[in-house]
Amino acid sequence: MVNRLLLYLELIRMEFVNNLAYRSFYFTGILNYSIQIGAYFFLWDAVYAGNRVIGGLDREEMITYVIIAWVVRSFYFSNLDRRVGTDIREGKIALELIRPYSYQMVKYARSFGEAIFRMLFFALPAGLAIYLIRPFTLPIGWDSVVMFVIAVLGAFVINAQISMIAGFVVFFTKSPTGVYKAKRVIMDLLSGLLLPISFYPGWARDIIQLLPFQAVSYLPNMIYLGQISGAAAFKVLGLQVFWITVLGLLAHLFWRFAVKHVVIQGG
Amino acid sequence: MAMKLPSSSKTAARYLTIFIHYLAQYIKTKMAYRWDFFIHIFTEFLQQSVSLIFILIIFSKVPAIQGWTRDQVLFIYGFFLVPFGIYSGFFNHLFDVPEKYVLQGEFDRILVRPINAWYQVVVETMRPELLVSMIVGIIIMIHSGSRMGLVPVWWDIPLAAVLVAGAALVYAGVYTFLASLGFWTEGNLGLMPMVYNLSQYGRYPMTIYRGPVRFLLTWILPFAFVGFYPATIVMHRYEYMGYALLTPVVGIVSFVIAYLFWEAGVKRYRGTGS
Amino acid sequence: MKLIEARGLTKEFRIFSRSEGVMGAFRDLFHRRYRILRAVDGIDFAVDRGEMVGYIGANGAGKSTTIKMLTGILVPTAGTVSVNGYVPHKDRESYTRGIGVVFGQRSQLWWDIAVIESFKLLRRIYDVPREDFRRRLQQFDDILGLSGLLNLPVRKLSLGQRMRCDLAAALLHNPAILFLDEPTIGLDVLAKSKIREFLKEINNEYKTTVILTTHDLGDIEALCPRVAIIDRGKMLYDGSVDNLYSQWGQDKLEDIVKRIYMGQKPTSGSAGGGWDIG
Repeated sequence: MVNRLLLYLELIRMEFVNNLAYRSFYFTGILNYSIQIGAYFFLWDAVYAGNRVIGGLDREEMITYVIIAWVVRSFYFSNLDRRVGTDIREGKIALELIRPYSYQMVKYARSFGEAIFRMLFFALPAGLAIYLIRPFTLPIGWDSVVMFVIAVLGAFVINAQISMIAGFVVFFTKSPTGVYKAKRVIMDLLSGLLLPISFYPGWARDIIQLLPFQAVSYLPNMIYLGQISGAAAFKVLGLQVFWITVLGLLAHLFWRFAVKHVVIQGG
Repeated sequence: MAMKLPSSSKTAARYLTIFIHYLAQYIKTKMAYRWDFFIHIFTEFLQQSVSLIFILIIFSKVPAIQGWTRDQVLFIYGFFLVPFGIYSGFFNHLFDVPEKYVLQGEFDRILVRPINAWYQVVVETMRPELLVSMIVGIIIMIHSGSRMGLVPVWWDIPLAAVLVAGAALVYAGVYTFLASLGFWTEGNLGLMPMVYNLSQYGRYPMTIYRGPVRFLLTWILPFAFVGFYPATIVMHRYEYMGYALLTPVVGIVSFVIAYLFWEAGVKRYRGTGS
Repeated sequence: MKLIEARGLTKEFRIFSRSEGVMGAFRDLFHRRYRILRAVDGIDFAVDRGEMVGYIGANGAGKSTTIKMLTGILVPTAGTVSVNGYVPHKDRESYTRGIGVVFGQRSQLWWDIAVIESFKLLRRIYDVPREDFRRRLQQFDDILGLSGLLNLPVRKLSLGQRMRCDLAAALLHNPAILFLDEPTIGLDVLAKSKIREFLKEINNEYKTTVILTTHDLGDIEALCPRVAIIDRGKMLYDGSVDNLYSQWGQDKLEDIVKRIYMGQKPTSGSAGGGWDIG
């Protein structure tokens, strides 16, 4: 058990160091995120002209929401779906079966190593740089900071699990790029990255509340803004635990199917 | 004796024939991967729908953004989708050049064939099914145009066609330029997604951007000309007429500059000068 | 008038030497240091129509660079080159209509479509008249046995099958010159002999000039009366294979070439021509 843990820690470290080697990519990456955040900043700034309150958020809160949503995304985002999909397409899953570790855990560990790298070299500096250019609202109290950090970790896990499942879906569709793109577009919309869920019409909110996606972006952001706090924030963490369990089971089922497929058809 | 055609129109005919044959091959390949083909079309629709939902939700909360109404913003977006579709179909995969063609040496194969190298790369990497965005865009324009009571006049369509061609050339120019950088970097720089996201700025009214950003989008990476400027004149708003009519010029200039860069890049690949 | 004529053909590459560490990478942004690598160094080379010439040398000797200059891919740093009445790197688009090129490591065919579809596309690219196309395809099929392969996509072919198709593809437009860069690499004996037989027949019938680089001296023995040996960018030997045998007093080409690569000179009186450096 401890040995396993050490293996996964080593994988996290390895991926972290690996990413250091490609730091030039991250300079263009930071520019890319700035462009994304800039686009929404300008748009919301114009939408909010006249200082109104929309969907429960005022102008400052909305701009903070957009910045936090994208900065946090730079932390939890991963290419897990592509990696799993590539393993499936190139038949590497069969090779993974002969190794004495959990395939999924290895993938999660490596993604987490990348996420830590992104947080230190990407999300935090980007957040700081944006704050210097255009100060945004900081959390009100330490309790909401702590809750926010935990919720962001939960967001990482849920996003990773959804990506894992998307990777497994390649087994059925044989169209990797289409699946990745569809996943990204759906996540952007339903996680609250593009728009706070409170903006949606009532019937849409009812549906989105039954799905795991909002736990990735919308709910953590609302904790950051202090719009969700106290007992409600604990409820969000509870909801994340619930989805991590459900998605974990689902990913496991997909994995079992994949293994069976490999064993019977040889990849 | 057959009449001898001028050589330029003969070349054009030859290139057109080659295009048609590449297209035929492409369709045959895609039919071998039918699922993939339809999923791509579906996700393209999905992506446009998400953008559309985004705009609709915003306008369910506010009546106008800086005086731009819902239908006007939709119209600009619809217009934007037409050159965007051309770009997705033909120029998006120029981003293969640094890695696949230069780094992995596929460009050698291009150079031993008797056709223009840029043209070969474009027809080899095209994804014409992504032209569906154009249809989505035209539907959005017709819908929002009729809602705002736009009365079409005879010159709308030829004018729109010229503006779309200019806007598509802006895209072609920017992506050709980025692809050309690959001849120097000999590998991927990661610039493509960045520029893609910047190009999306062009689908909103320029008035929402601050001075330097507007300047950048007008004169440096002229994505204001792939959506906003030309769209205004097609929906009969004439405040930006000067810019709008400049679209074909900007397109041609962008493309010519980019193509010169491309030629310089090819020269570098073949090891001249230095 | 020779079909291929190169004088003092030279190609230099500037190799960027990267500095160590983060500071080094930063320094490189502003001041790049290069060293010059002379891959091909003043080669003279002339070939008549219909010849089959083997072009050999150790790894990194400059073979591929020479071929790339002759095919118009690379522009020479110095020297003159004229092939088939053209300066290859100048009139690239007209010049390449008259040549065929096969890279052993890389297919010219489209990966996902049936071989015959690739051929049809190439027919358009090279403007081959329908009748010629049909006749040549028939002939290639007779020798190379393509008929079973034509309707398969390239990704389904074995290496040997793919190479047969690639050869046919390079010859559909009846080029005056065929450049082959390691055409038999990785092939089994049967596939090799099929390809050699085919090249001989094409050379016989169409007087196609063939320039081939290879590491397999069996290709030379089977096909090329003439061989050119290059080492570190310089031409070491250019002459008949028979002459090599008599100069070295040996009967195994492999032994001779091994010695040449090791820098030895022929023992039995180097009176015969061909040696470029003393």
